[in-house]
Amino acid sequence: MSQTFNLPDVGEGLTEAEIVSWKVAPGDTVAVNDVICEIETAKSLVELPVPYAGTVEELVAEEGETIEVGQPLIRIGAAEGAEEPADRPVSGAPPEGASSSSSESQQQGGQERTPTATDDEQAALVGSGPKADAPKARTRTRPTSLDLVEVPGLEPEGVTARTQGLPGGEFAADIVQRASPPVRALAKRLGVAVWELVGSGRNGQITRDDVERRAKQKEAQREAGGVPASGSPGQLGLLYEGPREEKIQVRGVRKATALNVAASASTVPHVSVFKEIDVTRTMELRSALRESQEYQGLSVSPLLFAAKAIIWAARRNPQVNASWHDTHYTLHNYVNLGVAAATPRGLVVPVIHDAHTYNTRGLAAAITALTTDARDGKTTPAQMQGGTVSITSIGSLGLDFGTPILPPGQASIVMLGAVRTKPWVVDGQVVPRQIVTVGGSFDHRLIDGDLAGAFISDIAAVLEQPGLLLD
Amino acid sequence: MNSAGEKVQLADPVPVQLLKADGTLVEHPVFSRYVQDLSEQQLLGLYRHMALERRFDAEATSLQRQGQLALWVPALGQEAAQVGTIAALEPTDRVFPTYREHAMALYRGISAEQLMATFRAARHTGWDPHEFNFNGYAIVLASQVLHAAGWAMGIKQDAAAGHLDRDRPEDEIVLTCLGDGASSQGDVHESMVFASSYQLPMLYFIQNNHWAISVPLETQSRAPLAHRAAGYGFEGIRVDGNDVLASYAVAKHMAEQIRGGSGPKLVEAVTYRMGAHTTADDPTKYRTADEVQAWQAKDPVARYRSWLEAEGLLDQAYAEQVDQEAAQLAADLRTAVHSMEPIGLERVFDTVYAEPHRQVETEKAWLKDYEAGFAEDEGQSVG
Repeated sequence: MSQTFNLPDVGEGLTEAEIVSWKVAPGDTVAVNDVICEIETAKSLVELPVPYAGTVEELVAEEGETIEVGQPLIRIGAAEGAEEPADRPVSGAPPEGASSSSSESQQQGGQERTPTATDDEQAALVGSGPKADAPKARTRTRPTSLDLVEVPGLEPEGVTARTQGLPGGEFAADIVQRASPPVRALAKRLGVAVWELVGSGRNGQITRDDVERRAKQKEAQREAGGVPASGSPGQLGLLYEGPREEKIQVRGVRKATALNVAASASTVPHVSVFKEIDVTRTMELRSALRESQEYQGLSVSPLLFAAKAIIWAARRNPQVNASWHDTHYTLHNYVNLGVAAATPRGLVVPVIHDAHTYNTRGLAAAITALTTDARDGKTTPAQMQGGTVSITSIGSLGLDFGTPILPPGQASIVMLGAVRTKPWVVDGQVVPRQIVTVGGSFDHRLIDGDLAGAFISDIAAVLEQPGLLLD
Repeated sequence: MNSAGEKVQLADPVPVQLLKADGTLVEHPVFSRYVQDLSEQQLLGLYRHMALERRFDAEATSLQRQGQLALWVPALGQEAAQVGTIAALEPTDRVFPTYREHAMALYRGISAEQLMATFRAARHTGWDPHEFNFNGYAIVLASQVLHAAGWAMGIKQDAAAGHLDRDRPEDEIVLTCLGDGASSQGDVHESMVFASSYQLPMLYFIQNNHWAISVPLETQSRAPLAHRAAGYGFEGIRVDGNDVLASYAVAKHMAEQIRGGSGPKLVEAVTYRMGAHTTADDPTKYRTADEVQAWQAKDPVARYRSWLEAEGLLDQAYAEQVDQEAAQLAADLRTAVHSMEPIGLERVFDTVYAEPHRQVETEKAWLKDYEAGFAEDEGQSVG
């Protein structure tokens, strides 16, 4: 038989706690008051002692998980044949003034530790033990008659004074003042946003009728709109199954990205330019390379040609491949090409070091390896260091153009959109051609619009006429 | 008796100590004799009471962490100050506790169940204050200091009337407990003024545990708290509150004088709250581990036990017997807590006034109706 220990309120009026660490694992034997886990509440870090002895059957919540008070925390299987700990609340250990049952069993030859007696003790434990911490919150369905409030001295001034200091500020205080707990509970149950209601009660109080009226309105709207019926998230006033507000901890790649882009966007004045170009010839070359034996198993994407084009254009426009340091700037006589990749962990920008030293096939191999590593989450921190210029291929997301944020320390990032077949005018004739938008963002402290334009135009020239790479 | 204008000596800032932190005895010209008067049984009793309370305290803390108590107020670290002081009093002396005097309450014979009833919300007060001459716990701190002065004034009036109340001893004195935090409250000032003006038979017992929740002692007072007594015209003294022998001797000495008509006295027991202020508090947020560790080295129970052992007074058998008794006390506490049902709110209204009262009745009716409003919805999930 197993017993469940629900998360208790270890402070005064706490509603939830995060499981920081488990001190036990399934299969472990625990005694009453053994520490099973550490939890963090809004107030403190607390070690929880277990109220039952036995074997850990299940840890219901995971480390890092936040659970509500009253939710199951751990299940403990009763210790079989184990000796009762002295401090276990058993009927065999009565307070002084000894019970008659224990003296009776002593008269039967000291048999009080027979299996039967033990069973009885456990049965008694079930009866008198903690009642599984059932949440005691109840919903209220009836309004309280208001005339009772007219007793002098019972006006809600006290409530006002107390609630104005609530963490939610005036907003929360206002709601607390205008809607009583039963009304708020009803609103929550019916999925009505109580703060949007105008109270029809005394002093603008939101009444039960106000809530029910809004719930009916919503129901009518739903029916008119043909929204799926009962039990759907829509009926709960939500977009999808889940809590109304959910707090997600920021960590890992998300955190690093946030810090980087915030620093970059707030310190570097970005300027962006774009150009829509005809890349039909590049796409023809791509098809040819794809069929070539040499490129077997390698990714031959528009990104490969763009990378080649960037290296070519950087040679002609040294100042785009540079770093700004306020009092000076550094020109890089090499290209460490950062390639932005969307991975399951988030955005990472691995770098192909000395990309200018690769031939086309080598570059294709490098891009293939790098994007595979990135998607598998194997990119090492070293692989993300030292970029001098970057490219982001948002075409793979089906997008045409965007304004990327510069990676820290770089002055240029090139953006490549999706290649689409579009009507294009060639020699006075409208013909279908393969079109892409190429552009990027630049550090305006170092790169003016004319230089950015020259750089993008050079990239465009290569992509329009890949034969230029033959020089 | 002091007369107005008479100069009162300031307390020595160095606390009286009879037992050093390493468990060796120190001679004191005034206080050592009180310890010499103690029998072996009494000396062991001091240990037993400290050890029992410590086990009880740990169990109560666990029960709170298991959701069985809304709140617990640990007395961990203050056992010696409490046990030494209460042991120095007569059982008929009236005690006005704060909410942390568990060692004193248990010493007076209040049971685990009675003590826990308030924390389990099963009773307003779990024991009859008159039976144990031990008032209910004061939740609103410093209020008990005024109550104590009032009680002491009653003793004075009884004496003036020729002791018509034959149930109470003529030389009764009053012990009022307070902490360093409460010492900053206005109530304490009023109480001390009255105690001094009327030369009341009161012993103010301040357990200076260094932290008023998160406010350090240095913020509360720039001078020893014992010095405050001089301002009201009575004697104050500092004692090492982690030294049960000194706590006993100083309290005994002061109580003798008060009983002899000296008027009020003040004892500041310098001790330390090893645990949280209450289970709803996280002391690591405001004090350092180093500080706690330094006080750990002055542990009152370990110190006293090592002395008893060195003197050959405490053997393994007795120590085990105490441990068993402590385990039983903890088990009794656990059983009692699980069997206690919360008091009905109705009873709270019914005990405000002795006779029916319109406003209370109205509020009671309102609450009843309000609570009934939840009932129809029983079982429905609120989410």
